Amino acid sequence: MAPKGSAGKEKAAPEEEEEILQAVVLADSFNNRFKPLTLSKPRCLLPVCNATLLDWTFESLALAGVQEIFVICRSHAKQIKSTIAESKWSQPSSGIKIVPIITAKESFSAGDAMRDIYTHGFIKSDFVLVAGDLVSNVRIDEVVRAHKERRRKNRDAIMTMVIKEAGAVHRSRPRGETSIFVLDSNTHECLHYEPVQGYPPLAHASVPREILTEHSELEIRNDFIDCNIDVCSLEVPSLFQDNFDYQDIRRDFVHGVLTSDLLMKNIYCHVITDGYAARVKDTRSYASVSKDILARWTFPLVPDDNHPGSASTSYEHARGNKYFSLSSPPQLARTSHVGPLTQLGPDTSIAADARVTRSVIGAHCFLGPGATVTDSNLWDAVRVEAGCVIESSVLGKGVTVLRGSRIERGCLIADGVVIGPEARLKKLTRVSVRRGTVEEDEEDEDEDSELEHVEASQTSEIRASLGSESNGLVWPDDSVDEDEDEDETHSRLNQRLLRIGDNASDLDISDAGSVTSSSDSDADSDADDGTLSMNGVLGLQLSSSATSLPSESAVAELADAQAQREFQAEVSASLARAFAEGHSVDNAAVELKTLRMASNVPLRRVREAVVAGVVDLIPLVPDAPAQQRAEIARVVGRWGQLIDSIGGIDAVETVAVLQEHCSQSPRLALFGQVLAALYQHDVVEEDDIRAWHALTASRGSSEVATAENMRKCWVVGARMIKQFEEQDDDSEDEEDKDEEDESESEEESS
Amino acid sequence: MSSERGSATSQRQIESLVCRLRRRQLIGSRETALETVHVIRQVVLRARFRHIDELIGMIKSVGRRLVDAQPKEHTVGNTIRKILHHIREEYNTAAQNSTLKAGPKSGFSISNFVLMGQPKKQSMPQKSSSVERNPESSVQNDSDLAQGLKPVLMEAIQDVLDELETVYDNVSKSAKDHIHSDEIILTIGKSKTVEAYLKSAAHYRNFTVIVAETCPSYSGHEMARILSSAGISTVLVPDSSIYAIMSRVNKVILGAHAILANGGMFAITGSLMASNAARAHSTPVVVCAGQFKLTPLWNLYHQYGALDFADPSSVLGFEEGSLVEKVEVVNPYYDYVNPELLDVYITNDGDHPPSSVYRLIKETYDDEDTEL
Repeated sequence: MAPKGSAGKEKAAPEEEEEILQAVVLADSFNNRFKPLTLSKPRCLLPVCNATLLDWTFESLALAGVQEIFVICRSHAKQIKSTIAESKWSQPSSGIKIVPIITAKESFSAGDAMRDIYTHGFIKSDFVLVAGDLVSNVRIDEVVRAHKERRRKNRDAIMTMVIKEAGAVHRSRPRGETSIFVLDSNTHECLHYEPVQGYPPLAHASVPREILTEHSELEIRNDFIDCNIDVCSLEVPSLFQDNFDYQDIRRDFVHGVLTSDLLMKNIYCHVITDGYAARVKDTRSYASVSKDILARWTFPLVPDDNHPGSASTSYEHARGNKYFSLSSPPQLARTSHVGPLTQLGPDTSIAADARVTRSVIGAHCFLGPGATVTDSNLWDAVRVEAGCVIESSVLGKGVTVLRGSRIERGCLIADGVVIGPEARLKKLTRVSVRRGTVEEDEEDEDEDSELEHVEASQTSEIRASLGSESNGLVWPDDSVDEDEDEDETHSRLNQRLLRIGDNASDLDISDAGSVTSSSDSDADSDADDGTLSMNGVLGLQLSSSATSLPSESAVAELADAQAQREFQAEVSASLARAFAEGHSVDNAAVELKTLRMASNVPLRRVREAVVAGVVDLIPLVPDAPAQQRAEIARVVGRWGQLIDSIGGIDAVETVAVLQEHCSQSPRLALFGQVLAALYQHDVVEEDDIRAWHALTASRGSSEVATAENMRKCWVVGARMIKQFEEQDDDSEDEEDKDEEDESESEEESS
Repeated sequence: MSSERGSATSQRQIESLVCRLRRRQLIGSRETALETVHVIRQVVLRARFRHIDELIGMIKSVGRRLVDAQPKEHTVGNTIRKILHHIREEYNTAAQNSTLKAGPKSGFSISNFVLMGQPKKQSMPQKSSSVERNPESSVQNDSDLAQGLKPVLMEAIQDVLDELETVYDNVSKSAKDHIHSDEIILTIGKSKTVEAYLKSAAHYRNFTVIVAETCPSYSGHEMARILSSAGISTVLVPDSSIYAIMSRVNKVILGAHAILANGGMFAITGSLMASNAARAHSTPVVVCAGQFKLTPLWNLYHQYGALDFADPSSVLGFEEGSLVEKVEVVNPYYDYVNPELLDVYITNDGDHPPSSVYRLIKETYDDEDTEL
């Protein structure tokens, strides 16, 4: 053996000091928008541009410098596991460690998966959370660096969401599921999040008023693609663990964290302007992401450069963004036509006069003479015979379309289906294989029952449309997504916006531009309402749906009133307890604050309740003015401070509330004395009384029944002010004279 | 044991370079060339071989993987070819010496192999038969020779490395002979070679450089900043005015991405426009490039994909949603400039007209390496 020792000793592979970057891939989609394509394989193994979605996701993460990936899989977990084991990723040379983790069948949401992550405890530090259907070329490592930097300054910045700027109308921006982000322009802190559905159209979005007061510059954006790339700190899974009802990361978690007054955690956004990121959430985005890849937006993740599929496939890029397999070039007949944005897989042959445009054709496919394929995705081993026409559809692996068939827009045809001859598939038809024709095992019961349901709906007419030799089964239009327990996003019309080939032409796209208005048209909302509404059509307006809106708002009002009543009862109960048990003012105040947050009512309601409680506490001592005054002084002295400690000091409002309450209660006569007592205990100041007195509302408006009493209170107030002035006059008379007098007399006259 | 671990390390290095090339995390011809040399040096250092052909085979297979990873980064292949050329040369010299000492042993000898300059493919079968005939002496001899050769080979690789490291200095040596006082030079894009060249000329001459913005990368901005901070009087102009100002320009100096065997080159987008404008005004076009950019390719058929198309976002923003759907945007990195438009290549080894590039390539690389 040759002396080789020296060579070995010289190596000094420097161990990397910095901690490795971990990523968690949620490989399950927790919905079934791709059915029936996903009957036999999970969504993340669907091919996009001839490589599985999972490969694209891994490559996107590898591009971003991720070294360890945990894949959370639920449905078809074994299949995912074996695919990963066989892929190039599990070879030691890939430089990435991939660990598939199988969660229980019972986890139905991203939230459950997060709780699983928490219990497994394999996450060591900040990690990247992505969905298993991501295609991106974003430098996530830079986002992670920014995130860590931010966390060093502020431990409460628990999460950074990566969002991509796109136009309001963009093919890759899902029209059915968008979001409104309210960001601080300077720090990019996410201040408010609101999910938006395409249908029913959203006409209002509310932004909490606190945000407007706390931040000088805001951006309210509805033109982002939410790529669901989140850089999370360790707290995120534990928060999911604590809040077992969180389901969706955006709708529940982000919204929950941002609206919580108790958590005090911050979420930031990273807006990417260069780079591409999008998710294949539904069939529509499936089609658009394929096109984005072929149009090279994902560069360097393009078929001819860094195709993430198996190492043996490489593609050649030709003019017009056409991609031809290099390893076994497709056979093109002389008179065939291959249009732009097309990818042809290895060993594919296209016969004479066949036309392919804007489509992805898998490996070993055959297009017969005169066949036309536009805007479609054909997976491996698809056979399209002579004269067939396929538009905007997805054809699964091994599908055979016999001669003369026509597949209209938006059809999904599952693996192994035979269609034709002379089949006529209507728009948006979904076809899968009849049971028994293909050995399907390990399907769980609900899928079986689903298939039964589908079988039951087959009519001879449908059979005829599939052609005589077909083994297909047409899925009725409404069978999927009828699970009532799934969230309301699944409203069917909204679903339509997420489907390939459905241009929703009967849903009228009208964006009238948005009008922003502060909601101060309500008489008293100035100080209390706390929200700012945006009017305007944000999504799609269904032309005939205008009537549905008022009824919805009526329902909301009803619910509001209900909540109000409940709150009222709670507050009075808690006050009564405080008074009876002699709590300290601080404790009582904390209790009230919690109540207010729990039922989300404006501060004024709390103030009303407290003032009413305090006033009602004063025992009525008729015919003994001195004793009465002593009682008032005692009660106000004990509890007066509570009015100011409920979370905001607004003495003018206090007086107004007091007036309102007194005017409605038998303690009307006490108003002046209570006011005086409050003044004595510094709850209200002289200026406040003056300000209240100046308010027009204090004089008592004519429509209200208690106007007379209000008026009385006002007069009492007026008398009190006069007293103040006299006092002032006296004191000033004693000291200095003329100048002040003059100015004051002016004040009086005004 | 240790050598196994060693080969694992070099494997890992190769893998990481492959990944970085694929993912375009390694950009720039010189950096790529340097990385390639480092990886090959590790391979040679850790390689155990009994015959030089084994080593060459090893390097070639590594080279093939690197080239496949990023076929558009030509310097990877060039560097591999150059190293192979050097290794063969060293080996041949050594073999000649040893055979002179030992005298011819059998019908097949290394001197024959060297003198006839046979391609490896033909010599291999002969070799194996000779091993059968005379196993002890021949194998022993060869492997001794090969092992003893290692330091020499490492030196050869070091030469390649040194050449790469000094390439800018050597290219800019002749700068003052090409640029005269009060000349107006036009350049586009940001090329380190051109930058070094102009800076070196600025030591001796007073001249003005006009830099075109070079959209969509706008690397001209950076170039203008660098040059003006080096004290060169610099003017930044939009690309559209290149033709208009060409009549006042004395010389166009360009950088290259790859120099092809027919004398043409791949260079940053806009080079073709500038060269054509220069041709229209009969302005000389000078290309500054290191010899590691010499590529045994022809681009005879003007392969479309060779221009390396990047993502369209710098041309048309992704936020232009409604347009993205309707238009096809192309954003090529490179232009192919035909040899007729160029006047001279200034390399780290003298100045050459485009018509003699083929000879340079012939001298620099071995024919059998053209296809790795």
